[in-house]
Formats: sequence, structure tokens, C-alpha cells
Amino acid sequence: MSKTWLVASYDIKKHVYKRSFVLILLSVPFFVTIFIGFIALTISFENSSTPLGYVDHTGLLSDPIPLPSGEDEKRVEMVAFDTEEMAMAAIEAGEIQAYYLLGSDYFENREVELVYLEEPGDNARSDFYDFMQVNWAADQPIEVVQRVAGGNNVIIRSLDGRREFSTSGPTPGQLLPIVIGIMFIALVLFSAGYMLEGVTEEKLNRTIEVVFTSLSPTRLIGGKVLGVLGVNSLQLITWVFVGILAIFFARNVLNIDWLDNLQMQWDTVAMVAAVGVLSYLVATALMLAFGSTVVEAQEGQAVGMIFYMLFMIPLIAIVAIGENPNGPLAIGMSMIPFTSVLTLSLRSLFFTVPAWQLAASIFVHLLFVLAAVWLATRAFRLGMLRYGQRLKFKEIIGRAKSTGAEGGGA
Amino acid sequence: MNPTEVTHIAKAFGDTKAVVDVSFTVHPGEIFGLLGPNGAGKTTTIRIMLDIFKPDSGEVAILGGPMTEEKKERIGYMPEERGLYQDIALDRCLVYLATLKGLSKSEANERLDGYLERFDLAEHRKKKVKELSKGMQQKAQIINTVLHQPELIIIDEPFTSLDPVNTQLVKEIMGELRDSGVTIIMSTHQMHQVEELSDRILLIDEGRDVLYGNLNDIRRQYAGNAVLVRADRQLPQIPGVESVVQHNQATKLILAPETTPQQVLHTLVDDGVTLEKFEIAFPTLDEIFIQVVEPGED
Repeated sequence: MSKTWLVASYDIKKHVYKRSFVLILLSVPFFVTIFIGFIALTISFENSSTPLGYVDHTGLLSDPIPLPSGEDEKRVEMVAFDTEEMAMAAIEAGEIQAYYLLGSDYFENREVELVYLEEPGDNARSDFYDFMQVNWAADQPIEVVQRVAGGNNVIIRSLDGRREFSTSGPTPGQLLPIVIGIMFIALVLFSAGYMLEGVTEEKLNRTIEVVFTSLSPTRLIGGKVLGVLGVNSLQLITWVFVGILAIFFARNVLNIDWLDNLQMQWDTVAMVAAVGVLSYLVATALMLAFGSTVVEAQEGQAVGMIFYMLFMIPLIAIVAIGENPNGPLAIGMSMIPFTSVLTLSLRSLFFTVPAWQLAASIFVHLLFVLAAVWLATRAFRLGMLRYGQRLKFKEIIGRAKSTGAEGGGA
Repeated sequence: MNPTEVTHIAKAFGDTKAVVDVSFTVHPGEIFGLLGPNGAGKTTTIRIMLDIFKPDSGEVAILGGPMTEEKKERIGYMPEERGLYQDIALDRCLVYLATLKGLSKSEANERLDGYLERFDLAEHRKKKVKELSKGMQQKAQIINTVLHQPELIIIDEPFTSLDPVNTQLVKEIMGELRDSGVTIIMSTHQMHQVEELSDRILLIDEGRDVLYGNLNDIRRQYAGNAVLVRADRQLPQIPGVESVVQHNQATKLILAPETTPQQVLHTLVDDGVTLEKFEIAFPTLDEIFIQVVEPGED
């Protein structure tokens, strides 16, 4: 096995065998489960499938048309009662959750009365509203009745026609780039942490000098980057797998209709992924550089917090980006690693990012990658053997002559 | 082919000249002592030899030429700044470092068993390195240096933290390695260990080589006009002796410049003194070291 792979394999095992890694890995599925469970619990509290009664003194519902019920769409059963006393008895017997009273003056004032002992479910009220609509249109052709039952469907389109929302809000496919963006940020932060930990550990426990006499700094850096990539891939695969499971569960068990429209916008996904990968490389290289220069591990953790804040800047500017997704602020933040991932994800929700902007962003990111890798390599070579002494930034920039794994001390 | 040839190397870090001019050659199968006071440039010299630093000038030939990735597998190095991964089990740490030196995992495990037994660490093999005592970690570091059976070993302060029993064990192992043809470069402050183990030495001071060669030749070179005498009774007054000092189990006679040891021996024999010991008083390496590196001294 090549030494680069040996280093990568060792680093992967080192992180994966740690209890903290397992906690991080499971924390996302755990929170997803909690989130879905909370939604399911909320829905179950708000809804009730117990039949709903009605007493009709108007004759409107004398020969009622039942609500159209789809395979995945469970409607509350409507039960007619001749008198209010009978309906009340049914409530008390638990046969119905409530009943509506259509009084004889209903046609004048359009008012119905809801009678219950315990608040009925939201779905019961909503289904009765649809039930009334359908029956008001009972004398119309069946197509009209079905259309009425379908309700409003307003679609909002962007000016270029490539973005559209229905009244029910963005689809899961439209939100996916933002989810991917946030996932990249999480990965970048974790990878930066792993890289920092790996480098500072070897520097602070002095193992680095032994390792330097076994393989070249280039192979060592290569192995460490591969190791971090391996750990992150494991996290990513686990999270994607859990995400798919969660969607399957939410669609098929909890019957969340919103998840039906999972159509992806692949161009947006590819854009966010491209910028995300480059940001990932920049952050990892910078962490390698910082890790090589620090004297104590705690200093590195403080730097990690700064990265986190940089990534979160677009969330602070979310209103400005939403109001003017092609404004100077949005364009500028799309060009800079760290802010670019979330900015492009948010912009893509309202707007199609022009190809030239994407090309410019990728170009700028590539420049950042080259600069960060250069900086990291130099900092690594100069700083790793400098025990207890801080490496200054101007030393990294200033001494371009050296070619070995240099440090200081006699 | 000499395992190490260093020719006029120099290295500066900013304004600090760590190594000014150092040259030496290490012969195959010898234990070579690399000596010098703190900050003399020993560690920088070693790091240049190992290609961790590039020299500003001068040349280094290791195992017949410039350092390569392949040659790194033929070298064992124990730095002064000890370093092992602290948060993993001892055996995992040593096997990983050995695989970086080109051993297969099974080969490393097999060899490790023997060394752990020999160093009395077998029962601690599954303990995290940080749970081991300083002395145990030192022994582990030595195992790490020799596990891949290198041709050239560079070892910095090998006896630090070791008790007398383990010091003896390390000396035995170094002797065995030398006898099997391994070349050892040993940097230490413990002069008596160098005297015991090394054939040749290099003394560096302020980045320059100030003393280099065969240890006995150097001691002879620095020997003053003195003799060590042990007799069955009190020594008589001897003409030409300037002063008398007790030296371990013997008496050291410092002679006047014009007096020879032969004259002193003659006088003692003529006086009927029964001699148990009579030898030229060579200085210890400690004395030479102090004499050479002390400010204002030659």
C-alpha cells in the first residue's frame, strides 16, 4: 500500500473509531428523526379521523355528494343526523368528533354552527369546508365539481420563466440546493476540524519529525487530505441515506403530500456542488496552514469558529439577497469562498444565476484554491517543526526560496 | 561506501546561524558520537542529514548519495523531541509507524512481539501511549527506531529517562546492532556513554566542528603531562611532580613540563614502591568537552 494511502487509512480510522465521530454521525439522523417525529406528533394532535356529523335543516345536503378521496388522501367521513339531539348523543358516544348545524336561516346568513365537546381536528373543519363547496356545485357538470374540489392553484413565475412557485410554497426540489449548501457547510466545518486536529496533534506531540523521516511532506499532506475526504464521504453517504429513508417514511407512512414533488433542478444542484467542493478545498487547505502555525490546539478551535461565522454571513443578508438576487451584494458574495455556497443556493430559489457569474465565481474560487494550497504547503513545511514558537504570516510569504520541510531551531 | 558523508554544510534561520561549517564522515558499522553543548547545531545537522532541512550550502551523502524516499526506509531516527501518537494503543502506534517505514503489517506485528517482550512492554501493548510512563515511552521510541531493521540509525539522547537496567539493555542492543553491521550516529550529553560506546566522535560548537576523529586519539591529543598511579603504600616525594590529586582509586601526578613519565616510573621503582597501576592520565571526554567549549578556552 502506498504511504499516502497508509496515512489516509490511519487518519480515517483515527477519526471514525472515536466516540465523538459516532455521535456526530448519528446526531444528524437523530435530529432528522426528532424533527419528523415532532411534525408527525403535531399533525396527529391537530387531526382526527373520527367521523364528523352534520344536521341539515336546509335540504342542501339531502342527497350529498361525498368528497373525492384519493389513495393517499384520507378524508373525514361525513355522517348525517336528523336532529341535534341525535348528533349530540353520537358525540357523547364517541361516534363522531363534532357536528355542524345548518340552520333553516343558512341561506340568508351563510352561517353554520359547530358543536363539540372537545375541539375537533383541523382536517375535519377543512374537509367539511370542501364538502360544502362540492355540494354547492352539485348541479354543475362533474368537471366543475372536481375543479371546485381541487381548490385554488396560483402559480408565480419569475420573469425569465425558469423559476415558479405554486401557492403552496417551494417544492422539495426547489429547496434541495439550499439543503445541499448547508450540508457542504457542515462538511467543510467538520473537515476543517479534522484537518486541524490531525495536524496540531502531530505537531504538538512531536510525532511529525519521525513521520517526516518516513515520507515526504507532499505525501503526508496528500494522505491527510485523502483521509479527511474519506471521513467526510462516510458522513455524506450516511446522511444522504438517512435523508432518503426519512423522505420515504414521511411520504409513505406519514402521508406528507408536499414531498410528492421531488423533481430536482440538476443545474442548480451541480452549481452548488461545484462551488461547494472548491470552498471545501480552500477551507481544508487554510486549516492545514493554521494548524501548522499554532502553538496550542485551542488556538485552532478559535479559527474554526471564524470559519463558521464566515459561512453564516449569507443568512444575515438573506432579506437583501431575496429582494435583489442579482444585486451587487448577492453577486459579490457569490464570488467569495465561504459565502458563495449559501448565497448561490438562496439566489437560485428566486433567480437563475447567469452562466457568466457562475464561471466568474468558479474562476475566483480556483484562484483561492491555488493560493490556499500554496500557503498551506509553505506553512506546513515551515511551521511543523517549530515547537512552541509561532510562525508569522510574513515568514510564510517572505521565504519562498526554501524547498525542504523547513522549520526552525538548532 | 560510507553511510554518511557531510561536507561543509551551513544553515541559517533568518539572522541565526544554526550551522556554520560542519564536515564529517561516518564509517560503516561504527557507533559515532555527535556531541556539542545546547544550541551548538547538532539537531539542525541531524535534520539536514535526514533531508528535513535543506542546507544553505554544502553537501550531504546518505547511504551513498542524496536522500530518497526509498532510503528513508533504511534509516531509523529517534529525535530529541520524542513523539508518539498519544491517543492510540502502543502496538497500533508502533505498527503504523513501522508500515510507514516499508514493513507489512504482519511483519511489523511479528517483530514487535519480540521487542515488546525484550523491553518488558508486552503487557502494556494495548494501553494508550499516554498511559505509559516516561521511561516506557522512551523504550517504545527506541523500538520504533529499530523495528524496521535499518542500516543507519540516528539516535538523539537515547538514555534519557531510562533506569540503569534499561540503559544497559539499550547499550546491549546498540552493541548487537553494531556487530550486525548497522551504523549508529548517537547524539548525547552523557559523555561516559559516548566513551563506552563510540569509536569516533564529532564535537560541534557554535555551528562548527571543533573536534573530530578517533576517541582515543583525541584523548591522547588532550592528555596533559600527568600519570595515574596506585601503589601499596603512600607515595614518596617525587622530583619533577608539580601537584598531586586524588583521582578515583588512584593518585594523579601532574608533572613539570620537563619531567617525563619514564623518569617518574624510574623514581618509584628505585624507591621500592610496589605499583598496582601506572598509566598515562588521559583526560575524560567530559574534561575535553569543557576544555573545548568553555568560553576563552582553546
